[in-house]
Amino acid sequence: MKLLAIFAAASLTGVFPQIDKAPRYQFAGSDQLAFQILQGAPADVFAAAAPKYPQELYARGKCWKPVVFATNTVVLIVPRANPAHIRSVYDLRRPGIKLVVGAPGVPIGDYTRKLLAKLKLSSVLGNIVSNESDVKFVVAKVALGEADAGFAYKTDVKAVGSSVRRIALPAAGQPTVQYELCIVRATKHLQAARAYVREVLSPRGREKLKAAGFGLP
Amino acid sequence: MRAAFALLAAVALAFLALPVVAIFLRVSPATLVHELGDPVARDALVISLKTSVLAQALVICFGTPTAYLLATHRFAGRSVLVTLVELPLVLPPAVAGIGLLAAFGRAGLLQTSFAFTQTAVVLAVAFVAAPFYVRTAIAAFESVDPTLVAAARTLGAGRWRVFARIALPLAAGGLGAGLALAFARGLGEFGATIMFAGSLQRVTQTLPLAIYAEFEQSFNVALAIGALLVAFSFTLLLAVKWLRSDLISGSRFAPSTST
Amino acid sequence: MAALRLDLRVALRTFDLDVELTAGAETVAIAGPSGAGKSTLLRAIAGLVPADGVVEVHGRDWSSLPPEQRPVGFVFQDYALFPHLTVRGNVAFGGPPGDLLDRLGIAHLADAKPRELSGGERQRVAIARALARDPEVLLFDEPLAALDPHTKDTVRVDLRARLRELGLPALVVTHDFVDAAALADRVGVLVDGRLVQIGRPEELIASPVSPFVAHFAGGNVLHGRARRSNGLTEVELADRTVVFSTDEAEGEVAAIVYPWELTLARTVPVDSAQNHVQAGVTGVVTVGNRVRVTLGPVTAEVTAESASRLHVREGDVLVATWKATATRLVTL
Repeated sequence: MKLLAIFAAASLTGVFPQIDKAPRYQFAGSDQLAFQILQGAPADVFAAAAPKYPQELYARGKCWKPVVFATNTVVLIVPRANPAHIRSVYDLRRPGIKLVVGAPGVPIGDYTRKLLAKLKLSSVLGNIVSNESDVKFVVAKVALGEADAGFAYKTDVKAVGSSVRRIALPAAGQPTVQYELCIVRATKHLQAARAYVREVLSPRGREKLKAAGFGLP
Repeated sequence: MRAAFALLAAVALAFLALPVVAIFLRVSPATLVHELGDPVARDALVISLKTSVLAQALVICFGTPTAYLLATHRFAGRSVLVTLVELPLVLPPAVAGIGLLAAFGRAGLLQTSFAFTQTAVVLAVAFVAAPFYVRTAIAAFESVDPTLVAAARTLGAGRWRVFARIALPLAAGGLGAGLALAFARGLGEFGATIMFAGSLQRVTQTLPLAIYAEFEQSFNVALAIGALLVAFSFTLLLAVKWLRSDLISGSRFAPSTST
Repeated sequence: MAALRLDLRVALRTFDLDVELTAGAETVAIAGPSGAGKSTLLRAIAGLVPADGVVEVHGRDWSSLPPEQRPVGFVFQDYALFPHLTVRGNVAFGGPPGDLLDRLGIAHLADAKPRELSGGERQRVAIARALARDPEVLLFDEPLAALDPHTKDTVRVDLRARLRELGLPALVVTHDFVDAAALADRVGVLVDGRLVQIGRPEELIASPVSPFVAHFAGGNVLHGRARRSNGLTEVELADRTVVFSTDEAEGEVAAIVYPWELTLARTVPVDSAQNHVQAGVTGVVTVGNRVRVTLGPVTAEVTAESASRLHVREGDVLVATWKATATRLVTL
C-alpha cells in the first residue's frame, strides 16, 4: 500500500506522527503548502493552521469541504533568561526590543498582527527584527536567546520546554485560531485519506491533540 | 554512440535551461519591469546590492592576502588551512547560519549584537562567498610563473613589490573571475542569511529572501525578482568565463609564436 | 682582489654542488651536461636558493643578503620578461633606464609588449633590464638556447661584443661548448656539481682532464679571418696558417675542427684533403684508450695504437690532415 502524503502546518510536527506514524509528512508554513498544492504537489490531505488556506483551495475546487479539527492559542514567549525583562505584552512597546514574528501571509504572522491590533498595540510592529516564514524559526530564535520575544503557538512552547518562558496575554487580544483540514481532490487514495481524517477526528486523535496543547472544537 | 551522447547532452541542457526559460515565459517583460517597481522588490534590490558590495569588499580585503600566502608558501598544515577555507563550500547554508549564530549570536561565543542587522547579512554573505574567491585566487597566484618572481627579486624587488607589481597584475584575471563567482553566490545566499540575519523588509530582506516572502502574497513580484536574479547570475557567469579564459590560456600575455 | 670569489655548497637531490671559483672582469662560461647544477650555481650566487659558503663580490660578502639586495644582472633562459609591462616598463623595473634602450638598439620598441618581440629582441630587453640594475656581476642562463639556429649566430656575435664592452665579471651557463668558447675567456666544465676543469677553451681541448671533458669540449676552435675564394672559404689564422672550409663566411670567424677528424702522418700525404698543418708536437696526452696530440694550432685525437705505430713523441714534426668539409665556421 502506498504511503499517504500529508501536508500539514509546522505546528503539527510533533502531534500528527503521534496520531499516525505511517504516512509521509511534509511540515511547513500553511501558506507555502497551499501554494504547492495549487501547483499540483501530490498531497492527499492538507491540514492548515488557519481556515484561510483550505477554504481557498476548496473555493478553487482543489479539495473537499474543510473541517475544523483543532484550535490553538497564540502565546508570547521570551528566552528563559529573559534578557529584556519583559513582564507583559505592553513591555513590547519599549524601543529596542528585538521581536520576531511570523511573516504576513503565514498563519502565525496574521494571527499575531490580529492580536496586536485587537490590543491596540500595532505600534509594537515597529520592533520587529525579522518576519519568519515558519513558526518553528520564531520559536528557535527566541529559544536560542537571539530574540527578546516572539509570538508563537502554545503547542510550540510545549515542544521546546524550558528554554522559553510564556508571558501571559490578555484574553481580549486572543484571535480565533482554528485549524482546518481537507482531503485533496486529486488524491489517488481516497479511502486511506478518509481513514486518516477519521483518525484525527477520533477520540484517540483528539486526546493526542489535547495532550500536545491544542484546543478541541 | 555519438547519437546517444548527443541525446543525453540535449536532455541535460534542456533540464538546466527549462526552469530559467520558464521564469521568463511565465510573465511578460513589461510585467516584469512593472513588478520590479514594487517597493518590496526595490527595497530588496537596495539591500542585496549594498550588502553584497560590503561583503565582497571584506572578502577581497582579507581573502587576497590569505590566498597569496597560501599560494606562495608550503608548510606543514597547509592542506588543513586550505580545507578550512573551502569548508563553507560544502556546508549546507542552514548549517552555516547556525554556525554564525553560535559564534556571533547574542548568546553565542562572541556575544555580539549582529543578529537581525544588516551586518549579519554582510557576514553571512561573506562567509558563504569567500571560498569561491579564495580558491580561485589561490589558483591564480599559483599560476604566476615563479621565474618571473625570481627575475623580479634579482631586479631588486622586495616581497611587497613582487606582490604588488608582479603577482597581483598577472593574477588579476583569475582574481576577477573569483570575485564574479563570489558575487553571484553571495547574491543568491538564503539559508545562512535567514538564520542569522532574519528577514525584514528594508533592513535584512535581500532579493532571495524577498522571493520567499512574496511568492504567496504576490507571485508576480516573486517572479520578477527571480528573473532579475537570473539575469544578474547569467551576466556574472559570463564575466567569469571571459576572465577565466584569460587566466588559463594567458591569452592576454601569451608570447607570439615567432622567435 | 678578485671581482668575484665563490666558495659555495648547495645540497641537491642526488649530489652536492661544490664550487670554488675566482674571476676578474672577464666572462667565464660554465658548461656541462644538463642536471650538472649549472643553473643552481647561478641561482645560488643571486641568492635565489640557499647555499653554504661565500659569495664575495669586490670584497663584499653577499652571503647574508636577500636576492633583492644583491646587485646582480640575471638574464634567465627564457628571458622572464614581464608580460604585462612594455619594454620600457620592463627595463625600468630594475632601475632608471638612462640610455640603455639606445645602447641595446631597442629604443624603437619601447612601447611594445614582450609578446610582440622576436627572440633576439627579447634577449636585448632582458639584458637592458639587467643592466638597469647597475649590477656588479652578470649571470646568463643558457642565453642562446631559446633561439633558432639562424638567430643564434647573430645573437652570439652581438652578445660577445657586449660582454667585452661591459667589462663586468660575467658567468654564462651553457650546455654547448662551442657557444662557451665563442663567448667566454675561460670555460669551466661542471659535472655532477663539481668543476672538473677550468681554463681557456684551447686548453680544454688540448689537455682535457678526462674523457668526459674531451668529448664535451668537442672541437678545436681556431680564430681567424675568412674570405671567399674559388668556391671555398679561406681562413687565415693568427700564425698565418690557411685553413679551408666549405662553409660560407666572411670576416672574423672561429673554425671548428673535431680532433677525431684529424689524421696524423709523418709526411704530407697526397690526397684530396685540403687542410694540412705541419708542426712540432707540443703535447701528447693519453685519455683512456685514445691519445690527444697537439701540434701547431690543432689537437688531433687518434687511437693509442695509431699513436704508438707512429712513434708520436713531443718535439717530432708531424702533419695533421683534415678535409675542408670537416671545417665548420662560426662567425664571430
